[in-house]
Amino acid sequence: MSGALPRIWAIGLNTFREAVRNRVLYVLVMFAVALMAFSVVLGSLSMHEDERIVKDLGLAGISLFSIFISLFLGVNLLSKELDKKTVYAIIPKPLWRWEFLVGKYLGLALTMALLVSVMSAVLAAFVLFEGGTHGVVMLRAEALILLEVLLLVAVAMLFSSFSSPYLSAMFAGGLWVIGRNTAELAVFAERESTAESVSTLLSGVLEVVPDFHLFFVSGSNLGEGVVSIHGTYVDWGYVMSSAAYAGAYATACLAIAVFLFSRRDFT
Amino acid sequence: MSVVEVKALEKTFVRGFFRKRTAAVRGVSFEVERGEIFGFLGPNGAGKTTTIKMLMGLIHPTGGSAKVLGDPIGAVRAKRKIGYLPENPYFYDYLSALEFLHMVGRLFGLDAKTRERRANELLDRVGLSMAKSRSMRSYSKGMMQRVGLAQALMGDPELVVMDEPMSGLDPIGRKEVRDLLLELRDAGKTVFFCTHILADASMLCDRVGIIVKGELKDVGSLDSLLGGHVQHVEIHAQGEAALRTKLAPKVEELGGKLLDRGEGFGVELASTQQADAIVAAIIEGGGRIHELRPHTMTLEELFVRESGTKAEEMRS
Repeated sequence: MSGALPRIWAIGLNTFREAVRNRVLYVLVMFAVALMAFSVVLGSLSMHEDERIVKDLGLAGISLFSIFISLFLGVNLLSKELDKKTVYAIIPKPLWRWEFLVGKYLGLALTMALLVSVMSAVLAAFVLFEGGTHGVVMLRAEALILLEVLLLVAVAMLFSSFSSPYLSAMFAGGLWVIGRNTAELAVFAERESTAESVSTLLSGVLEVVPDFHLFFVSGSNLGEGVVSIHGTYVDWGYVMSSAAYAGAYATACLAIAVFLFSRRDFT
Repeated sequence: MSVVEVKALEKTFVRGFFRKRTAAVRGVSFEVERGEIFGFLGPNGAGKTTTIKMLMGLIHPTGGSAKVLGDPIGAVRAKRKIGYLPENPYFYDYLSALEFLHMVGRLFGLDAKTRERRANELLDRVGLSMAKSRSMRSYSKGMMQRVGLAQALMGDPELVVMDEPMSGLDPIGRKEVRDLLLELRDAGKTVFFCTHILADASMLCDRVGIIVKGELKDVGSLDSLLGGHVQHVEIHAQGEAALRTKLAPKVEELGGKLLDRGEGFGVELASTQQADAIVAAIIEGGGRIHELRPHTMTLEELFVRESGTKAEEMRS
């Protein structure tokens, strides 16, 4: 494993470089910042709710644009290597295919961590500008967003290991939409008016799809009441258990991707 | 121990909804010895690249086995000893050549100082020093090929495998690559390359393998493959008219031809043994031998014979 680390690092560093040299990324980040700036304008039109609006819209912006970016980069991660045939020069180098895949994932994870951190810093600046505080609650919310994005990258990478970027984006995007609405789907499945076959099918789907709802909880009822970044919010214990869930799910996705990628012929 | 040992290697692709099977390589066996330049020849679609990709761990064989320096193909230990240049190489165009070679060096486990020194030496060797810090996005096809050569040598490999290394290069670039390959051999490296440019193979290879429709037709040194195929022998001699008259029935008896050649005469015969007999008769009859030329098969003729296609179809 110690011999594998420099090789994984080499692939990861290259993936990071590829991502940060992609201009589309900067355009998307600029949009996120523009949304935060707009929230300041909206806040000034509200009745003493400036800070609340900046925080809500800011977090939503970081989440949404991070999702877009991770989908965009994640589905292209392997297909670009195959389309441009760059993989032909790398696989014959002294590394295992799993190292290549893990390196790609870690490189993208590093990119996303940097992006979420930058956007969070910008949001903190806007919150301070509004006279508020960007406290530990916001940090927890931003950490959850990063975990969601890291899980989505693994899901996108899994689809990218066997299908085209468009299909991968559709599959991963579709799973994200379902995963974000697991609470509503669970309620629907448990309703008495729902047909039993639909209820069984939905329950089965909910067991398998990644529960992205875990990571964007502000305004949700988690059993002990509604949690909100403006009031009672989840603690670090919740963040850690969500991290364990994201880690386990992402590892499973990567393991399947490695299995599929290892069997592949690069003709 | 052979550097490359290929035994009954096979690859059958299964494609499409109806699982159509296409045999690309059928039981190929050969060995590449240390310190030689081995040319893998064959027309387009013969299975050259598929064989090389199996050796490089890019394609999984469906049968047979292969070893590189004693290690099975695809293993990291084997890959550490190989430098590979793919056909029409394309690299990460957002990187500069120097950054890319650093990345390759990291994969080979080289430290920063060694990477920097070797990358600069190699870029200088392939004539890319002036563009080494520029993004490869702006590189021409020939420049990409040069980066390909440099990255193949970054790990100081024992075996250099190249898929059409002269592709995309101008005549000067091709000569430089030829010189580089010979230099590598002189440095004790083993070179295995595939090409369909026979002139390059004739100039460079110690041994060649000819693959046609997935089957290996011939393997051996150029001398053994071509020298054993003397097509005819031509004698150019001078002598009196009486000598010609005396020779005529003998040449006819051997199935040869007696030809008028200005001041002298020529004799065309099928084998060197027949030529020996006629040469002896000419000298005995007071004649003089000006030239004796055995016409051996050219690599192109051998290639055409083995592949069963026309010469012009071989060239691309």
